[in-house]
Amino acid sequence: MSASSGTVRVERVDGYRWRVPRHGGMRTEGLIFADQELMQDLEGDQAVQQVVNVAHLPGIVGPAIAMPDIHWGYGFPIGGVAAFDEDEGVVSPGGVGYDINCGVRLLATPLAIADVRPRLRDLVDALYATIPSGVGASRSDLRLGRRELDAALRAGAAWAVTQGYGRDADLEAMEGHGTLPAADPACVSERAKERGKNQLGTVGSGNHFVEVGYVAERYDGPAADRLGLGAGTVTVFIHSGSRGLGYQVCDDSLETMIAAADKYRIALPDRQLCCAPISSSEGKHYWGAMNAAANYAFANRQVMAHYARRALTRVFGEAGEQTHVVYDVCHNIAKHETHDVQGKPRRLCVHRKGATRAFPPGHPELSPRFRDLGQPVLIPGDMGRYSYVLLGTDGAFRETFGSSCHGAGRRLSRHKAKLVARSRNVLRELEAQGILVRAANRATVDEEIPEAYKDVARVVDVVHGAGIGRKVAQIRPVGVIKG
Amino acid sequence: MTPYRFVPHTADIAVELVAPDEGGLRAAGLDALRELLVGASPVRALEERPIEARGKDPVERLVRYLEEALYLYDAERFVPARAGPAGVLGEPFDPARHTAAREVKAVTYHGAAVHRNDRGLSATLIFDV
Repeated sequence: MSASSGTVRVERVDGYRWRVPRHGGMRTEGLIFADQELMQDLEGDQAVQQVVNVAHLPGIVGPAIAMPDIHWGYGFPIGGVAAFDEDEGVVSPGGVGYDINCGVRLLATPLAIADVRPRLRDLVDALYATIPSGVGASRSDLRLGRRELDAALRAGAAWAVTQGYGRDADLEAMEGHGTLPAADPACVSERAKERGKNQLGTVGSGNHFVEVGYVAERYDGPAADRLGLGAGTVTVFIHSGSRGLGYQVCDDSLETMIAAADKYRIALPDRQLCCAPISSSEGKHYWGAMNAAANYAFANRQVMAHYARRALTRVFGEAGEQTHVVYDVCHNIAKHETHDVQGKPRRLCVHRKGATRAFPPGHPELSPRFRDLGQPVLIPGDMGRYSYVLLGTDGAFRETFGSSCHGAGRRLSRHKAKLVARSRNVLRELEAQGILVRAANRATVDEEIPEAYKDVARVVDVVHGAGIGRKVAQIRPVGVIKG
Repeated sequence: MTPYRFVPHTADIAVELVAPDEGGLRAAGLDALRELLVGASPVRALEERPIEARGKDPVERLVRYLEEALYLYDAERFVPARAGPAGVLGEPFDPARHTAAREVKAVTYHGAAVHRNDRGLSATLIFDV
């Protein structure tokens, strides 16, 4: 069976996989994970063409991959995964995105939803007061001098812990322990540092959030227990990234990479795919800056987690203090990793843009705490329905360079979402469903209405069905802080 | 008012600009950016911040101009009022008079294009929000 998405022909492989045959200047084929309905949603979207574009880049190894939450991005599609040979391949800021190490952290409390409901308003208000959100949010209590900022860029979440924001144990439950050692603050421009100096510990706006929820369903009880996700346990999701510093690092690098693509004679189907050989001076400079921005994001989520714990403690006392980090994942990042390619281990530069690392049980990069379990994968949905916790699998490691999806993916434009919400009181609707929302302005809430997003359950079912992730628990929201 | 028009885009915000020349495109793009950043808040042209016109083609010059204006807003809270002869005219952000409407991460190159037609130039741009 075959179908077309826009002008691109795709062939159905099975219930969860679609192949984009190699054509034109493609160096490899495309592989899209989706069911029939998600594939139909892509009709008219440029995302499939973007998979084709990525397949043109030099040194790509294996297929250009798209996850079931794929949608139109800049250069690479959101939900895209692409691996490049370390010697012959490229690194592309468009394969990471503007919000470098945008990611998700999940905290679990020892509190039960029944005990939290009566004081939910107090908790949501405390979170809203203690974690700045919205446009231009900054912290008056955390303004970094240049030396401190460089230290944060170098050490990420570990820097935050040394400053008293959290505990050493938090670091064990993070991708890369919250510190990427390739970071080089000297590669980060003064302009980027200026944009980031007052934003550490802030959520930002758009689709970023802090969300109180509870474990509503468990698909693998023993694994959920290991993660501290007992039935009815109250949780806190934090979704944010590297804020203005990361945006500026990406922006600075585009200028360099556009020139580099000319210099190294890399033909680009889209200027936003600009890139440089991994081993070039331009590639190395971006690598140092990108890793530093990723560390900023880890530190950002660490500081917010500290304040979330403080808010929980203010409302619930000692129980709030016992809140632990379930895991923290990046979903906009590029990393050097070893993967089996045609039976041989090979060092690759894996770009994940709107995709989550999903390493299997036994992978040496996992903390001992998770090594027999596999890596936790956190998949937030919209603010009205549910989110998921999965585990990484051998299937993901074999087929997607150890990657899984990252979220629901938008289906309505912001403009259309606002039109849909115009005559409604979305805050009141959600409150009637038992979900309290605090937001800096109504426009953000209207743009983020639940129906603006695909049903994340469909996305996760594809991932689970295809074997590139394994469902552990579903979490339902009860309180949301939006920027 | 210089002409700009927001057009549908699933994840972010796209704009179409029409102007007789490159300077006009920059002015139209700046008006669009100002609307995204502070909505209909009135902004006074009290001072000019210089922006060097750089880039090897009209697309690069347009994107970089708007990126500079965005940087001035994000890092220095300088709100753009309109394009000036050597940069951007505007004033410092004043929470009493300006509404911070939306965070704009970047002005992107994705799908960015400038076309010449019989009335001058038209351009399309996407803002990452």
